[in-house]
Parts: sequence; C-alpha cells; structure tokens
Amino acid sequence: MATLSEKKTCSERMENFRRFVWNPETKQFMGRTLINWVWISLYYLAFYVVMTGLFSLALYSLMRTLNPYEPDYQDQLKSPGVTLRPDVYGERGLEIYYNISDNKTWDGFVTTLQTFLTAYTPAAQHLNINCTSDTYFIQDTFDGPNKTKLSCKFTSDMLQNCSGLTDPTFGFPEGKPCLIIKMNRIIKFYPGNGTAPRVDCTYVVSICSNYGDDSRPLEVDYYPVNGTFNLHYFPYYGKKAQPTYTNPLVAVKLLNITRNEELKIVCRVVGTGIISDNVHDPYEGKVEFRLKIED
Amino acid sequence: IQDDHKLSTEELEEKYGTSTSKGLSSARAAEILARDGPNSLTPPKATPEIVKFLKQMVGGFSILLWIGAAFSWISFGIQFAQGAESAFDNLYLGVVLALVVILTGIFAYYQEAKSTNIMASFSKMIPQQALVIRDAEKKELSADQLVVGDIVEIKGGDRIPADIRLIFTQGCKVDNSSLTGESEPQSRSCDFTHENPLETRNIAFYSTTCVEGTATGIVINTGDRTIIGRIASLASGVGNEKTPIAIEIEHFVFLVAGVAISIGVLFFVISVSMRYKFLDSIIFLIGIIVANVPEGLLATVTVSLSLTAKRMAKKNCLVKNLEAVETLGSTSIICSDKTGTLTQNRMTVAHLWFDDQIYSADTSEDQTTQPFDQSSQTWIALSKIVTLCNRAEFRPGQENLPIMKRVVVGDASETALLKFAEVVLGDVMDIRARNKKVAEIPFNSTNKFQLSIHETDDPNDKRFLLVMKGAPERILERCSTIMINGKEEPLDSEKAEAFQTAYMELGGLGERVLGFCHLYLPENEFPDTYPFDTDSMNFPTSNLCFVGLLSMIDPPRSTVPDAVSKCRSAGIKVIMVTGDHPITAKAIAKSVGIVSATSETVEDIAKRLNVPVEQVDRRQATAAVVNGMELKDMSLQQLDEILCNHSEIVFARTSPQQKLIIVEGCQRQGAVVAVTGDGVNDSPALKKADIGIAMGIAGSDAAKNAADMVLLDDNFASIVTGVEEGRLIFDNLKKTIAYTLTKNIAELCPFLIYIIASIPMPIGTITILFIDLGTDIIPSVALAYEKAESDIMNRRPRNKRKDRLVNEQLAVYSYLHIGIMQSVGAFVTYFTVYAEQGFLPSTLLGARVYWESNTINDFEDSYGQEWTKYQRMYLQWTGYTAFFVSITIQQVADLIIRKTRRNSIFQQGLFRNKVIWVGIFSQIGIALILTYGLGHVTALNFTPLRFQYWFVAVPFAILIWVYDEVRKLFIRRYPGSWWDKNMYY
Repeated sequence: MATLSEKKTCSERMENFRRFVWNPETKQFMGRTLINWVWISLYYLAFYVVMTGLFSLALYSLMRTLNPYEPDYQDQLKSPGVTLRPDVYGERGLEIYYNISDNKTWDGFVTTLQTFLTAYTPAAQHLNINCTSDTYFIQDTFDGPNKTKLSCKFTSDMLQNCSGLTDPTFGFPEGKPCLIIKMNRIIKFYPGNGTAPRVDCTYVVSICSNYGDDSRPLEVDYYPVNGTFNLHYFPYYGKKAQPTYTNPLVAVKLLNITRNEELKIVCRVVGTGIISDNVHDPYEGKVEFRLKIED
Repeated sequence: IQDDHKLSTEELEEKYGTSTSKGLSSARAAEILARDGPNSLTPPKATPEIVKFLKQMVGGFSILLWIGAAFSWISFGIQFAQGAESAFDNLYLGVVLALVVILTGIFAYYQEAKSTNIMASFSKMIPQQALVIRDAEKKELSADQLVVGDIVEIKGGDRIPADIRLIFTQGCKVDNSSLTGESEPQSRSCDFTHENPLETRNIAFYSTTCVEGTATGIVINTGDRTIIGRIASLASGVGNEKTPIAIEIEHFVFLVAGVAISIGVLFFVISVSMRYKFLDSIIFLIGIIVANVPEGLLATVTVSLSLTAKRMAKKNCLVKNLEAVETLGSTSIICSDKTGTLTQNRMTVAHLWFDDQIYSADTSEDQTTQPFDQSSQTWIALSKIVTLCNRAEFRPGQENLPIMKRVVVGDASETALLKFAEVVLGDVMDIRARNKKVAEIPFNSTNKFQLSIHETDDPNDKRFLLVMKGAPERILERCSTIMINGKEEPLDSEKAEAFQTAYMELGGLGERVLGFCHLYLPENEFPDTYPFDTDSMNFPTSNLCFVGLLSMIDPPRSTVPDAVSKCRSAGIKVIMVTGDHPITAKAIAKSVGIVSATSETVEDIAKRLNVPVEQVDRRQATAAVVNGMELKDMSLQQLDEILCNHSEIVFARTSPQQKLIIVEGCQRQGAVVAVTGDGVNDSPALKKADIGIAMGIAGSDAAKNAADMVLLDDNFASIVTGVEEGRLIFDNLKKTIAYTLTKNIAELCPFLIYIIASIPMPIGTITILFIDLGTDIIPSVALAYEKAESDIMNRRPRNKRKDRLVNEQLAVYSYLHIGIMQSVGAFVTYFTVYAEQGFLPSTLLGARVYWESNTINDFEDSYGQEWTKYQRMYLQWTGYTAFFVSITIQQVADLIIRKTRRNSIFQQGLFRNKVIWVGIFSQIGIALILTYGLGHVTALNFTPLRFQYWFVAVPFAILIWVYDEVRKLFIRRYPGSWWDKNMYY
C-alpha cells in the first residue's frame, strides 16, 4: 500500500492535473482524445434526444387520455374548502386586527374587499344569466356559446349592506365589519343534498382560552338572507364548460364585537356533504379567524 | 545481545544470585517478579471499544449526514424562533438523519464485533505450569510467575516456559519449528557450541517444545524480553495497512460525497440566486445530500462481506477482519511458508534403495498400502531391520485409528519408519515381540548409528540377528558385503559407486537418508546364553552386510500441487519462504509446482553448461533459490531484481526480519501480498502482509493474532477457495454499488427540477430514506449471492491502481444512463398522478410558491377547481408515493440487469439465484406495506395510492432491461471496441 499512499508534492499534483487536462503524448484532453470526445458527445446527444422524445411521447399520450372538461379523479376534493376575504394572514392564521380611529389600519381590508368584488360588478357578470330557480342548475348539454355551459349571475349588490355600494367602507369604521365567505369550486359537487348550504359564524369555544367566555352570542347579519349559497350556482362544470362562472358569496356583518379584545371566530358552511371537522385541514368546510377591534 | 550461553554454571549462579541446587528464595523471587513483571507476552494493544464505536459514527457518509442533520436543526431553530408551523418537520428530519447514522453505525460495529469475537476464543490459553526449584524445594508454579534466576526442570512434551540456559541435559531435544521453521527436532546440551545465542545448543527458547529427554536450566529471560517476545513486539511495531477494499470504499465514498457536495453547493448557489429564501435553500441542500448519499450501502457492503466470510468459514477459512475477504481475491503474490502449510509437517518415508534400484513410496496423508515391489528377499531383510532397529512405539489404545493418525512416542525419523513398517507389514509390535531384543545401543551423535541384537522368530534358527541403521556413509564403512536379490555379494568398488549415486540422488531430493545393514551372528560363537555387553561391544560391528537405504522427507500435502497450479492460472505468483535448508526447500518447491519441472535456476544452468555461475545470463533462469545468507548481503535493488526477473522463487534459511524484507519487496512491486505462516517467526511478516494467513492447527497464538485469516485445516488449498470467494465478492460488490447508485439520480432529479422548474416537490426526504434503507436493502444484499459470470480463476488478479471498485464507467452508466431512465419513468408517473387529479403539467410549472403558500386556500387547478393547502399537501404526498412506487418498480428491473455485467441475463439464468427473488418480493412487499398499511400515518407522507399508478413506470422498467441487454450484447460482440471501453464497468 506504500505506493498508493505516497504523499505527492503540490507541484506533482499540479503536473498530474495538467497532464489530465492535456496529455501531449496521447493527445488526450481530459482523458479522451478529441475524436473520442466527439463520439461520446454524439452518443449522449442521441441518448438524451431519445429520452426526451420518450418523455414527450409519454406525456402526449397522457394528455390524450385526459377529459378536457373534468379530471379523472377528485380523491382529495370530497368536500370544499372555505376562504375569507379580506385574507390577511399573520403568524397564527387569518388575523383581522385594526384600530377604528386609525384608518390606515383598515384601509387595506377595504381595498382588498373592493378589489375582490370587481369580479362581481354587473359589467364583469354580463355574460352570465339570471337564475331564479332554487334548485340545482343541471345542464347535460352545452347550451352556451362555443360549446360551453351557462353560468348564473352573482353580482355584488346581492350582498346588500356589505356590497360596498351603499357603504364603501364595509362597516369597518363603525366596528361592524363586513367579511366575505367564499366556498371553493369543485366540479360536479352537489352541496346540501337539495337544501341550500348556509354560513354559520360563532365564537370558537375552547377550554383553555379566553375567547369563549364571552357569554353573549355572536350577532351576525348574513347577506344574502340567511347566508345561503343558492343551489342554482351548483353544480360547477369546470373552467372549459363554464369559463365565466363565479363563486357565489356570503357576506357576514359582525354586529356586537367587544372592543380591544382578541376574539376567535369560526364560520362554517352548513349543509349535507360538507365536512367541517377534518382535524388535518383547518379550511375544509369552515374558516377560522381572529378579530381584534381597538378604539 | 546476551552472552549467558558463554558463561559457566558458577558464573551464572553469581550473575543471577541463585543456586542450581536450592534455587531462588521465595522472597527474592517475589522481588524480581515485582521488578520484571509476570512472565507472559504483553498482548497487542487493542483499540478501546468506544473508539471503535465512534469511528463507525463518523466514517464514510456519516459526516455528510451529520451535516444534513445539523442543517435541519439549525433551520428548525430559525423557523421555530420565527414561529412558523412547519418548523417541526425539520426537527424530525434532523432526528431521522441522526438516527440513520447512529443505527447504521451500531450495525457496522456489531458486525465487526461479531467477527472479532470468533477470534477472541482462539487466544484463550490454558494456564501453563512449570516445575521450579525454590527454597530448595521442587514446586509446581504457574509459568507466568517465573522470574530470572529460577531453576526449572523440563521433560519431554513440556513447553519451554521461558528462555533457559541449560545446565543439565539428558537426551534433550527441542522442536524449534515455531521459532526457526526447521521441522526437525534439535538436540540440546550444556555445551556452548556457537557464538550466536540463537544457534548455540545450551539455550532453550520460550514457547518451543521439548520433544524428548529431560533438562534443567536457569531462566535468563522472561516475558517480552525473551527471543519470542522480541519477535512478537517486532510484529506489533508493524503498522496495520489499509486493505484494498477499504481503499476502494474510501475512493467510492470520496467520489459520491464529491458529487453530493458539488451538486449540493451548485444548487444552493442557484437557488439563492433564483431568490429562494436562504432557509429554503438550506433545506434543498439537505435534500440533495440525502438523495445523493446511499445511506444503506455501507451496511450492505458489510453484510455482503460477512456473508462471504461465513461461506469461507464453512470452507475452513476463518476471516478475522471482514475486509480481508476481498483482499485475498486481489492477491497477486502468495508468500507461503513451507512446513505445515505446503507440507504435512511429519517425516514420511519417501524412497527406498535396495537391489541397486530406487523405489518410491506413497507419501500421501492417508496411505494404507505401499505399491512398490515387495517380492525381493532383500526387502524382507530390510523390512526386518526397519522394524527391529527402532525404539519408537505407538501409544496404546489407538488400534481403531488409521495408522497415519496414531500418536507415536519417539523422534520424527523413527516415527516415520515405524508407521511405514506398520503400513507395509502389519502389526509391528507383534513382530518385535517375536524377535526378542537382547541388546541395544541407542543412536548418539558420535557413533551416528543405532544397533540392536535380536533372537529370530524362526525356532529352527538359533542364531542372533544384529541389525544396525545410521548415517549411510558410516554404515557402509562397517560393511563388507551387500545384499542383492537376497544374496550376499562382496561389496566391490562398482557396488560402492552405485551406492554413492543413489545416496547423492536421494540427498539431492532434499531427503534425509538412512542406511541399513545386518549380520546373523554365528551360532557357535554366540550361543543362547552369550552375555552381550553394549559397553565393551563384545560382538562384531564391522564386516556387516549392507541391505539398503531409506530416505525420508516431510512430504507435500496431496492437495497442494493442484492448488498451486490453480494459483498459477489465476495469475498469482507463489513464493516459498522458509527457514529450512535450500535443498529441502527446492525439492518440496519442485514437487508442489512452485518451481516447475522444466525451469532452472542460475546454478542449474551453470552446472548444465559447465560454466561459472557469474557467466550465466540471469534472465534465462526462471527459477531462483535464494539463501538467507545471500539475502543478508543484498541491496534492496538486487532483491527487487530477483522478485522481478524470476517467476519462481524459493527463499530458504530466512530469518523473521528477512521475511519482512521479502514481503516489503513484493509490496514495492505494487503487488497485493498474502503471507501464510504458523510460527511466531512468521508473525511480523503476517502483520506486514496485505493479508496474513495463519494456520489454525499448527499455528502459534502469535501468528493467529497477527493474521487476518486463519486456515482451520492448515491446508494451502483452502487459500484457493478464499481467492475465488474474494474475487467473486469484488465483482458482486460492483453490482451492488451499481444497483444502489442508480436510483440516487431518480432521487436527486426531483430536487433539481423542483428548484429550476418550481413544480410541487415530487419526492420527500423521508421517502428517499425509505427507499435507501427500506426497499433497496435486501435486493442489494441479494446480489452478493450472485454466481460468477465466467471462470474468475482464469483471469489475472485485479490491478489495484487500475481496476477500481467504482470506476468511471460504473458511475457514468448508473448515473447518466439507467438513472436518467428511472427519473424519466418516475416523472411520468408523477405527472400522471397530478394530471388525473386535476393539475396538468402546464399548471404545475412555476406553481411552487403559490402551491406551498399557507395563505392560499383556494388554489385553482387546470379545471378551475379550488384546493385548500391541506388538500394540495395530500396530493403532494400522493405524488411522493407514486414517485416512490415508480422507483421501486424500476429498481426491480435494475436489480435484474445488475445480475450480470457482460453476459445476458438469459445466459446467467433468471432463477439460479433464488435470493434475488426474495429481494424482489421483499422490495414490492415493503412498498405495499408502506403505501397501503402505513398510508394513513400522516408523518410518513405515504398515501394509499390508486392501484393503476403502480404500472405507469413498467414500460420504463422494460426499457431499462432491453437497453442493458443491448449494451451487454455489443460488449460481447465487439470486445475492445469503443462501446466495450465506455460501457463495461
């Protein structure tokens, strides 16, 4: 082993490395002659071209098998998620903290809501039809233009006091803020089994927290009335079938919020087939948020 | 150097303050014992267990994984301080990485400890007793209590308890073979016969055995100061060399770690410059390291080696150091001891000369008859002398044992003659009883003959028969007639010439020759009642009738010539290194094929051409016999020249230091040297060798301690088996490593694509660990059971500088060919799973930031559906599982193609190695359990996968197999071509 472990001097190492990079005797560059390098490069070029070809072929045939209107499986989408606007996340989730007297603290919330509702102006909704039936809007054929299906109109004025039309500040300065609840779209999902699902907001009752000791029930105004998602917005047929579809919304106006106290509130969507007790997923069928209004 | 052998008894008594009659006083002995320490050899310093254990914890890839764990904990600390929810994932990852290192470390330590324990049982020695005179009384003492100045008594069969200057002897002979390698017992006396204490007759050495006679002596050296002790400390001074396989593994670890670190750092820089958060970049770095490091591989290598070690143990090769398993395979020179390894270590009658003709006797280990012509009357006379003129006897109670295995009381030559006679004639004891002995003169060095007078068993013949044996020339001097075909004829000069020729010829074979003669005493001169007196010798001892010669040798083991020729065809040079005489050494070397029949030494050529030795062209001589005395005066260059120029070399009369020099010389040639030996004198060379092989039966403890391997049956042929196993395991380790490295690319690509294309993470770090330490372990061990592809004993030993375990071709083929195919297959599965759940590849590209954001719970897929964070995470885990399953499925194909490197799988047989199938089923079984059994345990990131996703990668698995078959086909079809050079690993 003595021969292998012989310590080489630095110059010897450099010399060895130089010979590796270019060996004038064998005309080898990095251990290969030029022609050898050409061959090996050509081989790898061909190999990787073929591999890329195979990969593209595999993906192409995959795409061919897919239905353009709906996915093959909805294994994870058994029940819709629920989100809140304004969506301001702090360290512990959604946090809506502001000071009534300082309009800088709530301007952001108002802007978010206004921006969010621009998709619900009559102009934005002009391609959608007015629906009046309170049952599922089932379409087996493509009745819309360009092989699409029709979508029902949802305009912001349906949110009445929380539409931002009558009160552009959404009640924030009064300490009675409007929040908007949205349910996630799932293709061919029929919520509520014939009964319109509705939003229900309560304080979170927790053993080791001070949020729930407020014995007063949470007073909420729901818009539209009763906080329901009308059934004619369901089912959803997918982006390709309903390109102009917009989610129905429910606005909640919190009326009796204790000032200067952090409150934890949960808004559930109540209806058959909507699960809101998944321990792993805090946003499935419900949305929780903390609220603190200072003055 | 001591001069105790030159001193007289009185001077010695004075020097050591002792008395030959009374010995030391107990008090004085205790004092000296306190000063010198006990009379035992200091065992070699063992590495403390804790150091061995810690070495396992930081060796190999462990450092990289520790770094990974440290990074995990650092990022946990930072994230925890920031209050992020996902912080604990990093804590767990760090813990898992640390656990992986600790568990594999414990495993490796356990494996090593297990193989060391086998050896520990060897060194257990029965405490030796010594008979000492102390306080004017004879006492039995434990030998380690002996001190300088003690008077000890020794009798036949005892082991010499210390270095002893003899002051009284009676027919004492010692067996110095463990010290010098001489197989003949040496006689001891009180006389100072040689300047060199090693050669003089009046010193007996520690650990040698007293074969016969009795002696009394003064202890002059104890413990480590004895000659043996000094040799043993010479051995411990020789450092342990790294084994070739350790160097290969180091090279491999270096290579893989180099790849891991450079890719890791490269992508760390890329991700930082792509404005990923610093913390994220560190987490990517950990992922890249984990993906690149084959965590289970070193454990697999250990298991493979210990499996081979077990297989070798069954074939009587006990491996002390696991890595030595492979060393034997890469051996290019074997320096073999003669006595006991190549030979049977027992004198046996090899030739007979009578009726002016040489007969050969059977010298094999289990002879039952002798085939030579026994019809001559001369043979009957000769056999009578052999039987009667012999003091050796079988120990009683061994009638059922084969003759060759029976224990005999008597010296080596007499034993040989006794056994020879027993085989040819049958019950020797009965013949002796029928021919009653009336007088006897035992052998002594002045007479050089042995004589006895017997009654005959023929009741009609009242004559006495005088029989004599001894040194042939002395016996011939006493003869006036010679028996030819049963008739006495006068011994004329022509017959004497024939005797000389035969004597020279047998002597030239390295054999010890004895002459035999007899005389029937005339009845009238020596009646029944004649009082024979051996002191006055009142009977004739000249004008006898010469009958014949017998020659004896320590014959080679019958399996050795075949083993030597196998070594030859395997490209291994066998060199004999012995302490024995050159003539004997050369004769044995010739008979076992170490020196082939046609080759000549320089001296032979000189003799044939009748020119002085100096004029012979040294290059013409293929063989060389080098004497220790010549070696002493040689420069290193001259030694190198001999080792280079001669293919067949015998070193005779070598000392322990010279053995060391020879081994070093061979290593200077770049050879991997195996040394076999049994004596203490061999232990330094055993230690110095790349692999030391000690004899299990004849070997001394010092030799076994210094060796890496022990031959339980002392049989040189077992080495050949070992070489074969060693070569096989090297080939199979190549396969194992190629198999294991391949999937590293499939584990690494996800991270690279993730960073560059910002797709959701295709595979998790924990999932990777489940492949490396779960599904892949049993299959990679299974490759150790693969049979050889061709006759591995017909190729040259590997060149340790060129034939690396992991060469460029292996790495490139695994990484850039098969690894890429696996990655493509796994990515197709990944995209299929996402697409069928709603995320088309186009949506995934660049989606990473939003995908991973905790604040987006309505992430839109390609169909317009909206996903919460958890729903996306669950899909991501399904992706992990799918990626994992694809890699597993393709690793099945990888396992099958790795069965061979050159031959087609169909030549090798798909079902010959059953363990491979165990591997495949375990692989799939573990994957099934992980996906469906543990699919609901969130922390493991597995989900119950839809069944059809198991088959997405199958076409790619088939592609891998086909591609590799094509590769092998071209390699076989066009050997030496560009393809062969680039594709054969």
